[in-house]
Parts: sequence; structure tokens; C-alpha cells
Amino acid sequence: MKHTYTPAQIIANFLKWILLLSLLAVALLPLLWLLISSLRTNLELQTNPFGWPKDMQWVNYAKALAMASLPRLLLNSAVVAASSVILNSAVTAMASFILARERFRGRDVLYTLFTAGVLVPVISFMVPYFSLITKSGLYNTLLALVLVYTAVNIPVSIFLVTAFMKSIPKELEEASVIDGCGFFKRFSVIILPLSRSGLVTAATFCFIYSWNEFLMAMLLTSSIESRTIQLGIKFFTSQFITDYASMYAAVVITIIPSIVGYVFLHDKIIGGLTAGAVKG
Amino acid sequence: MQAVGTHRSRVWTARVLFLLPVSVLFFFFFIYPFLFTIYTSFTSWRGIGSMKFNGLANYTKLLGDPTFRKALGNNVVWALSQGFIQVPLACLIAMILVRKPRFWRSLRTIYYLPNVISTVALAMVWVAIYNVEGPLNAILGALFGAEKRNWLGNPDTALFAVIFQTVIYIGYFMIILLASAMNIPRSLYEAAEIDGASTFQQELSITLPMLRGSLITTMTLAMAYGMRHFESTFLMTGGGPAYATTTMGIDLYLKMDALRYSEASTAGVFLIIMGTVVITVLRKIFGSSDPMSEMAQ
Amino acid sequence: MLKKSRLLAALLMLCLVFPLVAQGQVESAPAKEIELRWASIWVGNDSKAPAVEALVAEYNAKNAGKIKVVIEPQPDYNAYEQKVRTSLAAGQAPADIFTIKFNPTTATFYQSNLLMDFAKVMDASWKQTFDAGSLEQSTVDGMLKSLPMETAILPIWYNMDAFKKTGITELPTTLDGMFAAFDKLKAAGITPTSQMTGDTNAWTSMIWFSHFAVSLGGTNVWEKSFTDPAFVEAAKLTKRMITEYSTSDAVGLGAGGSGGHFLAGRTAVFSNGPWYAGRADLAATPFFNSIKIAGLPAAGSTKDFMISRLQANICAASSKDKAREAAIVDFLKFLTSAPSISKIAETSGAMFAIKTDYRPTKALQKQFYDVAVAAKTTAFDLEAALGAEVTLEFAQQLGALALGRISAEEFCALVDRKIER
Repeated sequence: MKHTYTPAQIIANFLKWILLLSLLAVALLPLLWLLISSLRTNLELQTNPFGWPKDMQWVNYAKALAMASLPRLLLNSAVVAASSVILNSAVTAMASFILARERFRGRDVLYTLFTAGVLVPVISFMVPYFSLITKSGLYNTLLALVLVYTAVNIPVSIFLVTAFMKSIPKELEEASVIDGCGFFKRFSVIILPLSRSGLVTAATFCFIYSWNEFLMAMLLTSSIESRTIQLGIKFFTSQFITDYASMYAAVVITIIPSIVGYVFLHDKIIGGLTAGAVKG
Repeated sequence: MQAVGTHRSRVWTARVLFLLPVSVLFFFFFIYPFLFTIYTSFTSWRGIGSMKFNGLANYTKLLGDPTFRKALGNNVVWALSQGFIQVPLACLIAMILVRKPRFWRSLRTIYYLPNVISTVALAMVWVAIYNVEGPLNAILGALFGAEKRNWLGNPDTALFAVIFQTVIYIGYFMIILLASAMNIPRSLYEAAEIDGASTFQQELSITLPMLRGSLITTMTLAMAYGMRHFESTFLMTGGGPAYATTTMGIDLYLKMDALRYSEASTAGVFLIIMGTVVITVLRKIFGSSDPMSEMAQ
Repeated sequence: MLKKSRLLAALLMLCLVFPLVAQGQVESAPAKEIELRWASIWVGNDSKAPAVEALVAEYNAKNAGKIKVVIEPQPDYNAYEQKVRTSLAAGQAPADIFTIKFNPTTATFYQSNLLMDFAKVMDASWKQTFDAGSLEQSTVDGMLKSLPMETAILPIWYNMDAFKKTGITELPTTLDGMFAAFDKLKAAGITPTSQMTGDTNAWTSMIWFSHFAVSLGGTNVWEKSFTDPAFVEAAKLTKRMITEYSTSDAVGLGAGGSGGHFLAGRTAVFSNGPWYAGRADLAATPFFNSIKIAGLPAAGSTKDFMISRLQANICAASSKDKAREAAIVDFLKFLTSAPSISKIAETSGAMFAIKTDYRPTKALQKQFYDVAVAAKTTAFDLEAALGAEVTLEFAQQLGALALGRISAEEFCALVDRKIER
């Protein structure tokens, strides 16, 4: 369709792009800073955080890549993040379906209870988590991390996925019931595909959390076999001295998989799902 | 009648089966730890040895503690600013991006990127930005001739400064709202266009009402995060100066640091209760908590 | 659709099974060998890491088939401290061997029967190897549940290049002389000191305050009420340092920022422990060879003292198994022997509570040893003496004091409330 722009539209368009571009700057500058900083020396970083590297310090990347057991740490992180995402998506999709599409007494109480979990400062649960994991014999296993990450993300996921499932028009489901769809079919054929973007959003958050989490990983593991990449990064921080430049190089290296994971989860899966969207 | 009975019990079995995995995990990772936290909040436990019951002593101490009261006030400011500034801004961006302006896909990805970057690195950037000799003062000085400020070192500006930096995390709420906005049936807009509604009118009469559920969700999430906020402020200011930026989360952490476990538990219980109150009030104001009621639209 | 879901299901199974298989392998060691887990912070890029790893390897080789020490690396000290206290609170020792920073807060751990009491196993010859004062400081109610290992002095660092620019070649010996020198530095466009009130302990300023307070109130000053005139005067002096003789960002500044000013040559006087001497970025500064380590001119009647702390004490898990306890003691005797400590000191420049003949050759680290030896007495810094809660209040209110929102008397009264008696 061809548009003829009114002055008001031109101004609105102008303001829109100012907003979009300034936000773009805000989002990109930290990343750019990280990239530049990862190529500077620690002295340069300490004395002037915003300078340009005098000589490109590729050695920082060499140090980061020389990190002990880097492939193993990356593999562990990938396994933990992928398992947590799959497990979390599976269990929360099922629960959200009941909470969003079924009517029964106690449902609101249950929903409120699950979602109230978003308020919990997980740090205050460290002692019970530690007891739980050690007593169940899961200390120093990847499974411990998978369970914790899956569980910690339940409230947010339920919150998001339930909201999405609620917004699906009732008529669609009613039609399917008339067509003879049973409980499982309603879930798998009608509701699940229609709430895909909500599920993917929740999965994205779960993925980013699991990939970046550090404290629980430190608490619940003790050897390289079950440690994640975030602990590897912290080896540049000893009690008194932090090698920030190399740490940032390591951070850059570990951000790449998480960006890929994000783009895959979000852009590729949601990408195909724009049929109902507004046109530009 | 027999058939209906079996059908009903089958449905119930299915419901229970579907809820079971989440319930089990939730019990072990939320209910049990919360009960443990409540229990320890009534003791004088320091993380070592047996727990001695000491009644409400921790609660009276907490409520009489000026630091905690300051933290509570700061958290309310946090929650309100996240819910009522951050989310509306995120909503505006989502409404722009859903109309697919040029580069919208890239923009969507890039806006989310700061959420992926380590908080430690970001805190270091912001500390440098807010420094007396930092770029913020340089820019403000060049533009408005403003005098140099120690943004994080002045109790009057520190809270504002640590809250303002969250603008980089806007992509988090934006992608929730965007995902939901993309689900709005296109036919609604086509009908409105035929009726001659302008873009602005369409946004007001279609997009916003259709996003109501997601807006409540994101606002609730944003306020919950505001209530339990901890990490970036702790890294930037340690809660100072003079507790100006301290939050309940920071207070709780530092209590654990000092091995005041039962007092930390008390703060934790209080934080969760306060948060529930804030969110319940929000729900009462903005909409029913009944998930099914929104389907009626 | 069907294919996709099958693929997903297979993926799910794979991901769930992998973690089960890939657990930290349980060592199927020969029956007799005792395995000791050491949750070590001296790993990664820590300067003690290479020597400690070599020592463990040496010990394991010597005791092959009998005792095996396994290092469980602990990156990030703050997270490590959390792990230690969380583990103890959950009723378990974090490992067979681990370290703590000894102060009144961590002394709470002594109430735990999860920790071995070395007082019961320490023979005279082992006791001999330790510095008597450090041993005494680590003893609480007759219990020695942590062995002093790494110590530190917290002196003042002077960039003599900066002083020379104003014609000063000798460090001032009186407080008035110091202020005069600082005024000259200011006139020359150099900020005299690197103060800070940020983080949770106002680290560098806390060191200055400790020097002032001990000089004014004596080495037992920390036993006094915080409203004592010595503390009020020390608070006034520290405030003056922050407001008149430091960078404009001192209030709210963190340790990184404070160190950054000194490294950049923006400030002439700094304060920190011996670990800072081994930094590569410090060695890269043009004034590296002109740094002088010393105390502060006496603010009161106590002179020739040094501020110190117990930086790392070693703890061990108690065990009903006598053989296991004996193995732990055997390893710790090896670790705290003079030859072992010399090796760790050599590569790291750190200071220890164990007497050795080792003397550093590197200029800056040698100065640390010389200053420590020259000091007639030592006294703890505020954090080591009074613990985490008091230090936090100190740091928070120091900002308010420096901004003139509270008086020195009010400041001291606020900090005093946090002291447990």
C-alpha cells in the first residue's frame, strides 16, 4: 500500500527513530565496551576505563582460550542449559495448560502460589538447596544444576506461558472439542502450537539464566566434571587480583554461544510464527 | 452416568498428572526452603550449631532497624519505577517493532543483548560512566554547562543512578510484550483500517487492550524484580553511601555475610510477604487475578 | 510434526541421561588410600597457585598408596566464602581442608563441632613452627579450630616520584609535616591520597583509620568502646583525608577505583597489603621502583607499630576416623613446614605466620618484610578486629561523615551500636 505522509506522521516517524536508535546505542555500547576492553591491558583498564587499546592485546584471548578444560566447561554448560530449558519448558507447559484452560476449585490458589515464586530471592534459599542436593547424593553432578535451574525458572515460565495460553480465544478450543478432540489432543494440537511464542520467550529466559548462573554452580559442584563455563571465567578472579582484561576476553567468548542460543530460540522458532502479526 | 463418571475421573487423572512435575519441583525448591526460612526466622541461629527459638525477636529487631526501613523504601521506589517506567517504555518499543519497521528483527535481537552480558562487566561500565570525571558529567557539562557530580557517591543521586542503569535491560520486558503483540489477529487491524482509524487510534483501541494481560504480567514481573533487586546495585555501590542504595536483597545478603542467618531469614520472609502485598494490590487495581476472565474479551 | 516431536523426545532423553552419566566420578581408589579434599582458593591466577600445586603433587608422590590430597579449585573469593558458610550451616564441612579469613565473624565457626580442634593434636615441635602471636590470636576459648597460615601487614604506600616533584625526598615524620607535604602535592596538581568509602568495607580508608586509631588509642584500642576519644579523633582525621586530600570521587568509590587512581599516578599515597605488590599492572607503572612502603606518622602516642591481619587460616573437617584425622594432620604439618612455606613465599611474595629463613629479593616485597620486621608491635585492622557487621556500618557511615551529614561523634556512636559485647 502506498502512503502519503502527513506532517504529523513525519514527526512521529522521526521521534520513533530517535527512540529506536538511542536505545540501540544503549544496548550496543556495553557490548562494544566489553569488546574493546578485552583487547586492552589491565593497567589501561584501571587507569582509564574508556580508552582505546594502545596495542591490541590478543594475548588476553590466548589466555582465555588457554583456560584449563575450556571445552569440557563449555560442553557442561551447554548440556546443563539445554536440559534445563527442555525440562522447564516441558513441565511448565503442562502445568500452565491446566492453570490456563481448565476450571477447577483451587486453581487460582495454585496459580498464585506458583507465580509468587518470582518474588523469592533465591540467595536466601542457599542453605536448604545445599542440604537438598547433598542429601539426595546429587552434589557435584550436572543433574543437580539442571534440577535447580529448572526449578528456579518455574515461576517465571508459568507466569508467562499461562498468560499466553489464557489469551487464546476460547472458540478455537470449543471447536476442537466439538471435533472430538480429547484432553491430550487439545493440549498438543490446539494450545501448545498457539502459545509457542510464549513458550519460546520463557525458554529464552531459562536458557540465559542457566547459561549465566554462577553462584549455585559454585555452591553445588566441586570438580571439573560437573562445573560450568561461568566458573571458568571466575578463575581470572583470585582473592586479591582480578585479571579483568582476560576475564572480559573469556566473557566475550562465552557470550557468543548465548547469543547464538538466543537467536536460535527466539528468532528462528518465533520467526516462522508471524502469520497473525500486524503488517507494517 | 457411568460413562460421565469415568470421563470425569480420567480428566482429573490427566490434570493431576500434568500438574505433578511442577508441583514436586516447586515443593522441594520453593515450599520446603520457604518453610525452613520461616522456621529459622523464629530462632537465633547463626548458621552453626542448634537453633534456639527466640520468638518474634528477629521481627521486632528488623522492623526497628533503620537500615531495613531505608531498604524497604528503596525497594518500593525500585518496584514502582520498574513497573511504571520500564514496562511502559518496553511496551512502546514493542508496539513500534510489531509494525515491522526497517531492521526490526536485528533491533529485537540487539535490544535483548545486554541481558546476556555479565553483570560484573556492566557494573564496571556504569561505575565508570557515573564517575566524577566520567563521560556522563562530560556530556552534561558540554550540553548544559552542568557542574560535575559524583552520581554514585552522593546519597541524593545514587538511588536514581542505580535505577536508571536498568534501562539497558528493557529488552527483557520488550520481548515478552512483542511476542504477545505478534499474536494479535491481523484481521482486527484490517477492520479498523477500513473504518478509517489512524495508526495511533488503532494502537489505543486494539493493541493496548489486547496487550492488557501481558502488560499485567510484565508489570508484575518488573515489580517483583524491583522488590528483590540485588546484584547490579551491590556490585556498583555495595548499598552505599550511607545505605542510600541499599535494598532488602542487599541487606539480606549482608546479614548472611555476617552469619546472622536467622535475621537474614526474617528479612527474606518479610521481603516475600511485602512483595505479595504489592503484587496483589497491583492485580486488584489493574485487573482480576482470575486467568479465565480475560478470555471473555 | 510427529518426526519433530520424536526428535525432541530423543533430545530430551539424551539431555536427561547425560548429566546422570557425567557425574563427578567417584574415585575407586585402593581401599587403604585416604583421599583428602582441599577446597583451595590458591588456584587459577592466584600467585600462590603454582607453588601450592607443586607441593600437593610432591606430597602425593611421597605418600602414594596411603594419602592423596585432591585440590578442589575455588574461584571467586566472595562466592567461596558463601560456600563455606552455607555448607557449615547445612551441617557439613565444605571439604576436608579449607581456609577462612579469621575475624570475630568467622570465629563463630569455632562453635561448630564439624571443625577439627588443632589444640588437641598439636605437639610442641609443630607449635614451634608458628608465630606465637598469630597462634594466640587464632585461639578462642582454648580451641584452635583454624591454623594461622597467611598473614598480611597493611602499610601505607608512597609514590616517591610524586613527592620528588614537590622537592620532598624524605617522608614526613610528624602528622603536621605530612599535611604540609600533602598541601605541597596539591599545589603541584597531584592529589595526595587514594581514599574510598565504597564496597562493604571502605578498604583503603579503613586501613588509614586503623593506623590513626591504633596510634591514638594504643594497640588494644579495639577493645575500647567505639565512642572513645581515640576513635572520634581518628574519624576526624580520616574525614579530613577524604575531603581535603583525596580525589573528588572518594565517597562511594570502590577498591578498584582507589587502586586505579594510584596506578594511574593521579594519587601519590595509597594503602594495601602485600598481594598488591605482585600485580603485573603495578609493575608496568613508570614509578614502580620509586614506591616506598612505611607506616603513617604517629597521630598519637603509640609509635612504631604496624597494622596486620590473619589473611588465611586453615581449617580441617573433624572426623571420627582417627586415621583420617592423622592424615590431615600429616599433610598440614607438611604444608606448614618451613621449606614448604618458603616455596610458596618465593613465588608469591605473600607473608606467613610460619617462621622461615626466606627473605624476598624483589625490592617491593623486601620492603614489606623489612617493615614487618622493624615494627615493634602489631595491631589488627578494624575489620580483623571487629568483624563484618561493624566494618559494614563503618563503611556506610564513613560516606555520611565525609559528606558532613553526621559529626565524628555521631559516626562513632553509630558504629558502636554494631559492636557485640
